[in-house]
Amino acid sequence: MASSLKALLVEDTAVQRMVLSALLRKQFHCEITMAENGKEAVDMFLEGNTFDIVFCDKDMPIMTGPEAVGKIRAMGATDVKIVGVSTDFEAMEAFMSAGADVFVPKPIRLDVVEPMIQEVINKKNN
Amino acid sequence: MDYSNLRRQITFMKKSFFDQGYLDEQFHQLEELQDESSPNFVEEVVVLFLKDSPRLLSNIEQTIGKYPQDFYRLDSLVHQLKGSGSSIGAVRMKNECSVFKAHCNDRNLEGCRRSLQKMKREHATLKQKLESYFQLLRQVGPREHAVNSRN
Repeated sequence: MASSLKALLVEDTAVQRMVLSALLRKQFHCEITMAENGKEAVDMFLEGNTFDIVFCDKDMPIMTGPEAVGKIRAMGATDVKIVGVSTDFEAMEAFMSAGADVFVPKPIRLDVVEPMIQEVINKKNN
Repeated sequence: MDYSNLRRQITFMKKSFFDQGYLDEQFHQLEELQDESSPNFVEEVVVLFLKDSPRLLSNIEQTIGKYPQDFYRLDSLVHQLKGSGSSIGAVRMKNECSVFKAHCNDRNLEGCRRSLQKMKREHATLKQKLESYFQLLRQVGPREHAVNSRN
């Protein structure tokens, strides 16, 4: 599936960044930008960067995922699909309350992310 | 050792990792991401995990030894280890991290100590097994590395 989607990956752990970026790049040909915490992610939006989809971890230093999601939505970035991710299912409520579109548990599976990517592609093409 | 014997040994070794519960389906997903443009992807991810995880284990051990106990920090450290471990399919480590987190939630320091010792043992065993596995893979050469395999 060729997408050329712009994906922002917000994840503080190097191993997880490596795996998820490879998944998005190799399987969906996404253009990947990485942020190591919520503040870096927010700063990217403040700098005027736009993304089609954001994958955001919950527990990170400086600024958590839900806090970053809330700030991103508050600055008017309502079109970007935001996916909250965590190994803990309890994180779902925090992400959804902050304005994420969906929550997926870690490790992220190909069969789970594929329909999300396809939905974003379809929306972008319409 | 000839190629076919090596190949058999690799296949058997990998199967044992799954049969004995050291690895889960996530490891297969890593293999699916390995191709000719990144023929050593799986090993690179595992090496990164094995390089990063001792630091986390050490931080956990240091934090357990501090007084007053900081269960919030312990939970945060183990959370990172759980995430990294699950990313490579290290299911035993992931499960023990969940046990540790439960002890944190119960503010059970002794439980945390016991769980940490288990995590360290699981980590050492996994490290030894995976390092042996990749050593064998390197012996069969780049052809083997570049081929996605569920054997």
